[in-house]
Amino acid sequence: MREPISDLKEEDSFAVDEHIWGHRLYDEQLPHLIFLEFLGVLESNKGSPLVEGANGRANYRPRRQMRLRNLLFNNPFIEQYRSKSMADGEKWEKWEEAFRPGAVKVGDGDLAHLRTAFASFADFAKALDVMRMSAFEANSNKRWSSKFVFPFGPDALYEDIRVDSKGNISNDRRFFARTGEVLYLMLCRSANAATLGPQLVSRLFDPAAPLNRLARALQGDPQHADKSRDTGFLPHRHLPRFDRLCDDWLAILSRTMSATDAVEHLVTSVGLNLLLYFLEQGKAAAHDTDPVEFVCEIISKERSKVRVLSGDSWQTNQAISLRAIRSSIESVRALPEWETARGSADAAAACADVMRGMFQWPPEEMATDLSPEDLVTELIDAAESRHAQHFGRIHAAWSRAIGLSSRRSSRRTRYAPNDRLLKTLVVTVVEGRMEFGEFLREIHRRYGIVVGEAEGARLVRENLVDQEALNDNAARLEARLLSLGLLRRLSDSCSFVENPFYRDGDAT
Amino acid sequence: MSEKARDGGRAATCSSPPGLAWVRFLRNYGPIPTNGNLFDEHVSKALSRAKVQPVNLPTPWLGEMESHFRDGRPGSILVAGTAGDGKTYHLRRLWSGLGGASSKWASSASVKDLIVGQRRIVFVKDLSELSGEEGDEVLDGLERSVAGDDGASYVVATNHGQILDRLRRRGERLHRVSPLRDPIRTAFLDPGVSHPRLRIFDLSRAAKRSSMDDVLTAVADHPEWARCAGCPLDTGGKRCPISENRSRVNGSVGGGLFRRRLGDLVELSRLNGAHLPVRDLLALAANVLLGHPDAKEGLMTCSDIDRIQQNGTEDRASLYRNVFGANLLKRRALARPVFRTLSLFGVGEETANGLDGLLVYGSDDICLKETFARLVTADCLYGASPGYLAAQRRYLEGEEGARDEEGARDDGGEESFLDRLADQRRRLFFSLPADPGSPYQHWGLTSFVYAGDYMSLTDATETKKAVDDGARSRIVCGLNRVMTGLLIENADRVFVAGSGGSANARVGTLCDTEIPARKTQGVGVSIRFDKTTQRPCIDVVVAKGTSPVLLDLTPIRFEFLCRVANGALPGSFSNECLEDLFAFKVRLLRQVEAARRLSVEDAEEEAQEDSGALDLSFIDINDNDGHGALRRMTVRVPV
Repeated sequence: MREPISDLKEEDSFAVDEHIWGHRLYDEQLPHLIFLEFLGVLESNKGSPLVEGANGRANYRPRRQMRLRNLLFNNPFIEQYRSKSMADGEKWEKWEEAFRPGAVKVGDGDLAHLRTAFASFADFAKALDVMRMSAFEANSNKRWSSKFVFPFGPDALYEDIRVDSKGNISNDRRFFARTGEVLYLMLCRSANAATLGPQLVSRLFDPAAPLNRLARALQGDPQHADKSRDTGFLPHRHLPRFDRLCDDWLAILSRTMSATDAVEHLVTSVGLNLLLYFLEQGKAAAHDTDPVEFVCEIISKERSKVRVLSGDSWQTNQAISLRAIRSSIESVRALPEWETARGSADAAAACADVMRGMFQWPPEEMATDLSPEDLVTELIDAAESRHAQHFGRIHAAWSRAIGLSSRRSSRRTRYAPNDRLLKTLVVTVVEGRMEFGEFLREIHRRYGIVVGEAEGARLVRENLVDQEALNDNAARLEARLLSLGLLRRLSDSCSFVENPFYRDGDAT
Repeated sequence: MSEKARDGGRAATCSSPPGLAWVRFLRNYGPIPTNGNLFDEHVSKALSRAKVQPVNLPTPWLGEMESHFRDGRPGSILVAGTAGDGKTYHLRRLWSGLGGASSKWASSASVKDLIVGQRRIVFVKDLSELSGEEGDEVLDGLERSVAGDDGASYVVATNHGQILDRLRRRGERLHRVSPLRDPIRTAFLDPGVSHPRLRIFDLSRAAKRSSMDDVLTAVADHPEWARCAGCPLDTGGKRCPISENRSRVNGSVGGGLFRRRLGDLVELSRLNGAHLPVRDLLALAANVLLGHPDAKEGLMTCSDIDRIQQNGTEDRASLYRNVFGANLLKRRALARPVFRTLSLFGVGEETANGLDGLLVYGSDDICLKETFARLVTADCLYGASPGYLAAQRRYLEGEEGARDEEGARDDGGEESFLDRLADQRRRLFFSLPADPGSPYQHWGLTSFVYAGDYMSLTDATETKKAVDDGARSRIVCGLNRVMTGLLIENADRVFVAGSGGSANARVGTLCDTEIPARKTQGVGVSIRFDKTTQRPCIDVVVAKGTSPVLLDLTPIRFEFLCRVANGALPGSFSNECLEDLFAFKVRLLRQVEAARRLSVEDAEEEAQEDSGALDLSFIDINDNDGHGALRRMTVRVPV
């Protein structure tokens, strides 16, 4: 009936969410981690980027770079020896003695390359400082094997792994939970994939980039995962959202900023577009045809109607995925096979078969004394409770990570875009300059963001808020953009949003 | 003359001061609540009532507009600007200049035709007055005229936002972008390119250095002031505050210092991007002459003078206060763009310790006595007036209530000493003599402490003279501090430091490249004049073969860099400036990346061996003098 999904985790003995959104989206995999996983897939396929295989998946073999990450994040011994007054050679020896026991899979005798690369122990220490400064979440208490450096180039990429107490490596899919793989498939299926792929490879995988070379100096020869593997699964052959994401990335890459500076915007763009994908597909599964909307409050000191509405908007979107799950399971009842099964002699078993074909549940071993109705209810319960653990948190986690939601000055979470998100919106959307009104229309068209009274017309019609409150909201956005250096006022009623990184003409 | 009591006698002599009608007319230009849109009509009516000559301002573009039609050039004219720029005024003058009847102009039709020779010219006084349909007709006609149809030429006056909005809605209705949209947009944002069949006059861009000066001349030197000669309110020991203000404005008292400094403030505002339309400048001029907090609506007429002189409150008519709208209710003052813009300079609130010390203790302190006499007592009307000296004494003797900000606003309506202090600071801004050696500099009384240096810089770059070393080193030092986030003192070179990862990291010791503070062989920093923006700009080339990156140097950005160079934290003065500089840094890093790729390509072309050496440069700060230098580290990278 439906293609069964392999590689489900043990406790997930059914597949419901996966058929709506793909296998898989995950709350703990924040946008920057999605991006890093994606880069791993891309790097492995840089010969023919963004082209999926015949089976609707891609295949890749990511790097592991054990030496690099041990040196950076599993190495608290540098400070001890750095400032001691010993001969340089002695410092190296003592440090290696301390480092080796705890190091995992660095290979025997393979640290000699460090002494060749660095003229002194002090240089080595300095190099580590520089790389550590660029790390994402360097100071968090995440396990060391889940800490990542900035993607300076191919030598700085590696996959997330788990290291147990005996030093064995396994892929527990905790932070690289396949969302990056799903992203890869999405981009493969976008209209302009053939343009985007080579650009990504040339801009982001430049082996000559200085800090990438530094990573190479620390790592030495690359270390890859043992085997290659297939990516996860994406149920939709094509969606407008995939094209939107691809075009947004092309726009960002065309701006006058270095690849390093562009990464921040690419990550935010991924977060925003994937969040929209999540909500849009959730609505589609629940047969809700209204478009996704984010009613945003531009933060102000006073409490206004818009703040209340932005909180309500957040709540509405938060509830979408749960409805989708329910709806998706209940849709089994509409299948003709279901009707046939119910009418058959052993209805319970027949219906159980239909369910199994759709959702890989109930498992063969389970007692089939449940009536068809009970089967449905039972699965709904199980799916809803599993949903609450991860899929149900995606909206909250991702919207916070990209700076779209906030709890500032309020008890409830609401949509209140922060400066970083606003910058990314301008950098992505504005080609040169755009009238302010046009900008509001465009971010509504692309991302469902409601700030002013033109886009919030529905809210005004339903008497939820008056025009003036929305106008004030838009005026605050104007002032905010002005203070970010992204707006130019011609006169009271006329201002232009300007993208300082837009380039006219050919790329250098 | 009169048998009445003394009061009556006095009243009779003052019953009709000769300048009454003129002053009452002038008051109409001031910041009184009127219907802004019909300003021109309002003034015309007042003009005919008062039977005085109007205030005429130079209109340099009127000549060009007239010659467009007289010389038979094809196509139409668009006159754009914000409220108060003089659009209606220009159109009216053009109409009569081309032979149109003023009675027909005064009629209520919003679209008027004028035949000049063989040509039909359609005048639209104000696009926003037209209904949707009428507006569409006009836009339709304008499009045809611009496309080559000479059947009718158009002269349309409009706000920037109005016309762009109408064009957009028209475009949505007709499902095509209007051919007018791009030329108009470009003209508003990047003037310089003109369309052969559509002449656009953007009055918001017409403002120059001399605009404020012209307005002050037109108002303070107006022939109608001759009526005031011999007025009893201004003779025999009595001084009319309006007359006093006027003489300080037109220079008969104090030289041209007041005008120059006021012109500086308006010019700096303009360079900061705050455009002040002509109507606002006229309101400012009228307010400067006629402002007094006790008069009706804050503006004096001749009938108020007597009362003011009786009460001894002439010093509150001080033109130095009026410039900032201190004669109006705070709310009303700030509602006017001109006072809002001028208030950004903080004149009256900002000060330096030395100046306050002089103002408070100067009359008693032996060392300051002479300076006090020269700078404060010498001005007995608006400086050390009796009111001021009395308040100062009360303040120093610690009387109750004298130190409150609210002050003892009791029966006499006395202002607190602190308010008076603010007034004195304002007066000193306009009257401190220009003396570079003096410890008292007038720009120190504003929030733009380096404004004087900025204006010298503008002059120097415009006339292609050498930029002052002090200004240059402050700019370079400020750039370094913002880009690296370190408190380094270097003025000899600029460190282009990436932060190695997060673009928002404010501190970065890893340096991509360093460039000289002066252009050498095409690489480095130069400070030059930019003709498009009419301001100085910083022009940086990071390496041979890369494009220059420009930073437009507005007064506020210059102030920001100088303050940072002098120790202020980048985030504390202006967030907008900080963001602008970060964006500048990002653009520089892009050029650095481009340069690196070029050099890699060159190396490949020349088939050089990849030596496998990676050079990293770190900024080390010398603790003794705060100068940063690059420490290079070489890493051998396996190929």
